[in-house]
Amino acid sequence: MRLGVVLALLGAGAGAGGVTPLAAQSVQSRLEGRIPGDAVPVVDSLVQVALHEGLPSEPLVQKALEGGAKQVPGPRIVAAVRATLAQLRDARDLLVRAGDQPPVRPGEVTTVAWALRRKLPPSTVERVVAELPHPPRGAAIHAIADLVAHDFDPDSSAGLIIAAVNDGLQRDRLLDVSTAALHEVQRGRTRDEAIAVVRQQLPNVPWPPKPERGTVTRARRPETPTPP
Amino acid sequence: MNTIDARIHQVLDGELPIDALPAELRHRMQVVRGAADLLAVPVPGPSLESRIMAEVRRPAPSFMRRMASWFATPHAVTFRVRPVWSVAFAAAVAVFTVFFARDAGPQLGEHEGIAQFVGRFPNARSVHVVGTFNDWRPGTIALQDLDHDGVWTATVVLPTGTYEYMFVVDGERWVPDHLADRLVADDFGRENSVVIVRPVHR
Repeated sequence: MRLGVVLALLGAGAGAGGVTPLAAQSVQSRLEGRIPGDAVPVVDSLVQVALHEGLPSEPLVQKALEGGAKQVPGPRIVAAVRATLAQLRDARDLLVRAGDQPPVRPGEVTTVAWALRRKLPPSTVERVVAELPHPPRGAAIHAIADLVAHDFDPDSSAGLIIAAVNDGLQRDRLLDVSTAALHEVQRGRTRDEAIAVVRQQLPNVPWPPKPERGTVTRARRPETPTPP
Repeated sequence: MNTIDARIHQVLDGELPIDALPAELRHRMQVVRGAADLLAVPVPGPSLESRIMAEVRRPAPSFMRRMASWFATPHAVTFRVRPVWSVAFAAAVAVFTVFFARDAGPQLGEHEGIAQFVGRFPNARSVHVVGTFNDWRPGTIALQDLDHDGVWTATVVLPTGTYEYMFVVDGERWVPDHLADRLVADDFGRENSVVIVRPVHR
């Protein structure tokens, strides 16, 4: 009987907005005291909109917390959170346009939004999504964005990373492909030459050095953030 | 050990008749002669020579069998330890534990990696790294400059993923990490640095 009441209340909450009261409560508690008080309800409502639309909400919360930590006035925080929400919508739409079936995975939306912030052309992202239909594509998009950020041609960069995936490289190993290309440029090759050289090496690009024993020994876990 | 009277020897050697012995020696003589008669009876079965030769001809057991036999047989092991060496060994183990084993570092999970933050901030009193890994909360991850050369470092265990961050110098000055491979606009007029934490175990 009691369980039935609880399930009915949860169902009503989800039906009303697609958001559990617990999620809403935890977002507010994370924001209170960290951003100006008048910005809390606005940011909270934007978070609820994101959840309702099936978009990831954590980037919005992080953007608000970042603004608060940097002592940014409330209206600018709200504007930045709105901009982040718009980027997430653009990313979701781009993924759907490129062939992903809705609902799109939140992790993919976050990655694509981040790539667009790094000035990766939408057409390049669309090509990656179309040619790599199976998520996760995060590492591939990061690797391409790394190359583009170093003035590599977006299409050539995407071609290299897609070739690496087709040669069996996955996830973080794709970052080693972009690193190998950047190293070739540091050795004096042109960017086109660097891409050609690394493409010939595939899939045998060098692994990154493992952390030294001293580095692991020094490593410490950060303190768990405490609620305000 | 009882010695045999010389006269008994003489009787046994036939040098003296048994009747020449006194009564008590004659009785002992009879006991000795009875034992000698018993020994003279032939023992049934293989002779000593044939038994020895059979043992010699038997093939030697294999190495594994001898090893198994050695392990199965009880052996007496004796340790002679001076107490002073025992104390020295215990002290060596304690020193190793305190200085090496204790500081072996954290055990990293499958989805954890190590992020190293390095920045050059001469004359800074404090440097912290703040980002999406700690909810942008200043003060939770401090960099250290142990040799006071102006280079501040922190080595942190983080879940694998992509994080944006900045340094906070002296609690008020926000500075991007100029050594970072990636920078991205922060929508507040500055740039955040980006770090991708990869798993240590691969």
